[in-house]
Amino acid sequence: MTQLVLFNIANGLIIGAFYALMALGLSLILNLSGVINFAHGGFLAIGGYLAYMLIPFVGFWGALLIAPFLTALIGLLVERVLIRRLYGRDPLYSLLLTFGLAYIIEDGTRFIWGAQSVPYQVPDWLMQPLSVQFFFLTGYRVFMMLLVGVAVGALFVILSRTRLGMRIRAGTLDLETVSVLGVNERILRTLNFGLGIYLAGLAGVLAAGMLGLSPTIGASLIMPSFVTIIVGGLGSLPGTLLGGLLIGVASGLTTTFFPSASEAVIYVMMGIVLLVRPRGLLGEEGRF
Amino acid sequence: MALLNRHGANAVIWILLLTAPVWMHWVGGYTELGSRVLVMALAAMALNFLLGFTGVLSFGHAAYFGLGAYGTAMTIKYLVPSTPLAMLVGVVVGTLAAAIIGALIVKLRGVYFAMVTIAFGQVFYFITFRWNNVTGGDDGLTNWYRAPIDLGFTKLDILHNPEIFYYVILFFFAISVALIAMLLRSPFGRTLLAIRENERRARFLGIPIERHIWLSFVISCFFVSIAGTLYALLNNFVDPRALRWDLSGNFVIMAVLGGMRSFWGPLVGAVIFVVLQDYVSSMTENWESFIGLFFVLIVLFFPRGVLGIIRRKATS
Amino acid sequence: MSLLRVESVSRNFGSLIAVREVSMTVEPGELRAVIGPNGAGKTTFFNLISGMLQPSAGRIVFDGEDITGLLPARRVWRGIARTFQITEIFPELTVRENLRIPVEGAAGHRLQPWLSRDADAAVRARVNELLDMGGLAAKADRLVGELSHGDQRATEIMMALALKPRLLLLDEPTAGMGDQETYDITRLIRRLHRDQRLSIVLIEHDMRVVFHLADRIMVLAEGAPLEEGTPAEIAASERVQAAYLGKAAA
Repeated sequence: MTQLVLFNIANGLIIGAFYALMALGLSLILNLSGVINFAHGGFLAIGGYLAYMLIPFVGFWGALLIAPFLTALIGLLVERVLIRRLYGRDPLYSLLLTFGLAYIIEDGTRFIWGAQSVPYQVPDWLMQPLSVQFFFLTGYRVFMMLLVGVAVGALFVILSRTRLGMRIRAGTLDLETVSVLGVNERILRTLNFGLGIYLAGLAGVLAAGMLGLSPTIGASLIMPSFVTIIVGGLGSLPGTLLGGLLIGVASGLTTTFFPSASEAVIYVMMGIVLLVRPRGLLGEEGRF
Repeated sequence: MALLNRHGANAVIWILLLTAPVWMHWVGGYTELGSRVLVMALAAMALNFLLGFTGVLSFGHAAYFGLGAYGTAMTIKYLVPSTPLAMLVGVVVGTLAAAIIGALIVKLRGVYFAMVTIAFGQVFYFITFRWNNVTGGDDGLTNWYRAPIDLGFTKLDILHNPEIFYYVILFFFAISVALIAMLLRSPFGRTLLAIRENERRARFLGIPIERHIWLSFVISCFFVSIAGTLYALLNNFVDPRALRWDLSGNFVIMAVLGGMRSFWGPLVGAVIFVVLQDYVSSMTENWESFIGLFFVLIVLFFPRGVLGIIRRKATS
Repeated sequence: MSLLRVESVSRNFGSLIAVREVSMTVEPGELRAVIGPNGAGKTTFFNLISGMLQPSAGRIVFDGEDITGLLPARRVWRGIARTFQITEIFPELTVRENLRIPVEGAAGHRLQPWLSRDADAAVRARVNELLDMGGLAAKADRLVGELSHGDQRATEIMMALALKPRLLLLDEPTAGMGDQETYDITRLIRRLHRDQRLSIVLIEHDMRVVFHLADRIMVLAEGAPLEEGTPAEIAASERVQAAYLGKAAA
């Protein structure tokens, strides 16, 4: 029994890390620019499909490296051409815009690659379980967890050590002041958006290997990202990370006892958090 | 805006709505399309009570729409094939859910409020999807039909006669719209406008903001669940798509397209959107891309909506 | 009994002490001015009285009741109304509609879904009364957002008045106004003070306004009370001059 519980917790951590990766990108964009990127799932799918296209040319590792950057480039383009115009306006409009983009991306990927899942090639040696006992712990899952860890670590290093990072953090608190201090607000928003989309693209590549690739992959993963942010705390990146891990573990634990409720539990957690502490676990006061 | 203008516009709209089954055929439409437009228009106007007049963005209204629909369908299928009872159940379920959820989220604002409404919308979608022995899951709830309405002195065969059903829908539409109009013109409605215009000032006029937002939310969802019950009856079918995020988004775009700040805006938006969607989906498999493109174009170039632009021209 | 007693309130933001042990007593019918160089904590002080902020220390007693913990909306109902440095009105509604909302609120109609004809007539009459008082009758049906700064400010003041307050807090009512508008607003405030016998506390930078209107003046500098007295006393005070000049020189 304990083994089963541990199994599920470990599994949950892995899933949670993944949710956190997605949600961090979403959170970055939300906190700095006040934009709910409903198309985040779409960018995730784009990341996966781009990687899928690249594998025949550069192999698994090359695709893993390049696809997120390409996705980020597309994100930068979208921000520059479309989203930028909406910053001063009611958040309603950027939400509607990203909503429309989500439609377009989902339908577009379906049009190009078909509605069925496409096979995503992961190197065989990665797919081996690490031991007979822990059969679920394939190399791929461990690898994914490590990669997420590296990515999140890199993100936090960027945010705390680089100039861009510091400006993003300051801008999240008070964009007006930051721009008065001479920082180019528009470039900051664009780069921040690109960073967020990079994370989405990376998540997409990883998800492709784990879940398989289909046009609806984005839509199915975006909700846990929302819940992650709500639970972890509005306006807080560490909160998002914590939130992701928490709901992943909660989901994993529930699988042990009530397998059918494992998805529902994340919504229950959201309800509880809203009841007890509306701003989220690590959320900042006055953010809303 | 002269009083005559407003009454004149109202008169035109009601005349058009009352005679729709007649003139729809001339323009290549059909009565059922008109019924569908009315249902969507009611939903969009209900949403706009919250969005356009209280200034609160909810992107999860389909949840309460869908709850109304499922409440109706399940009543007819599992309890008793009575249309009035089914509608009542649907409305009660939808409104109750809104009251509870509204209380949970009313402390949030702006984008965070919108996020949470989206998330809750998804909760109900998820429930109807999973609980498939009761709700029919992804396949939806079938094998039930709207029952004729027994008024005592006559029976309304709403199942076989699309024209009669259209007028029944119009009846509920008219009552709902009249109630919404009355509320908006009342002191309560003005308080909501105040909250929309300047929340801080409203607070410093002693207005309890959260309570009013909650009330507006519940009222808005009450009317949207009425639309949901009519939707189920219209289709003799309901599936989880009635609760999905895309329908929520459609309600919003209808309100924006027609003009959020005007009373009839959502109706205009619904007419355009439903007709467009009907047309495009019959032309191509990739109608979703077109809808998405439509959203993008409206937001970028047409944010004030049809009636918003007309009003601008009138006052300038 | 004093209408308002602010007992040694302080407010800090982390290590920044915005308001430091400020006390003030306002008697019914007084017109008090609060002045001081920029950054002296005057608006923070107002925020404490009106409830936007909680004091880190100290008490606020209004009409004998300790209101220190009360939410802003509640203080409005106790009788404290305020205007803001940046005019807070309902821009896309007409002047008449802007006034109607607080009038209905004060009459207890806020939640009502409909109004009887008599109640409606009473509300309209009161709105017209306020329009006349504020000199806004001619512009009643124009959108407030389109009016001049002075008219917007007058609307805001009349909205506050519509609540039938016993204490009116005016935060820099003449900010950003030219001479004529300043004169008009000053006259309006004077009329309200005299005719309505309102107690008013006023933050101002324009010394002409202050000396014209105030019964007593309190000077704040760097969050702390510097001096208090009649206009004549303050005008003669060297410490006050030093505070202003010192700031200017710095």
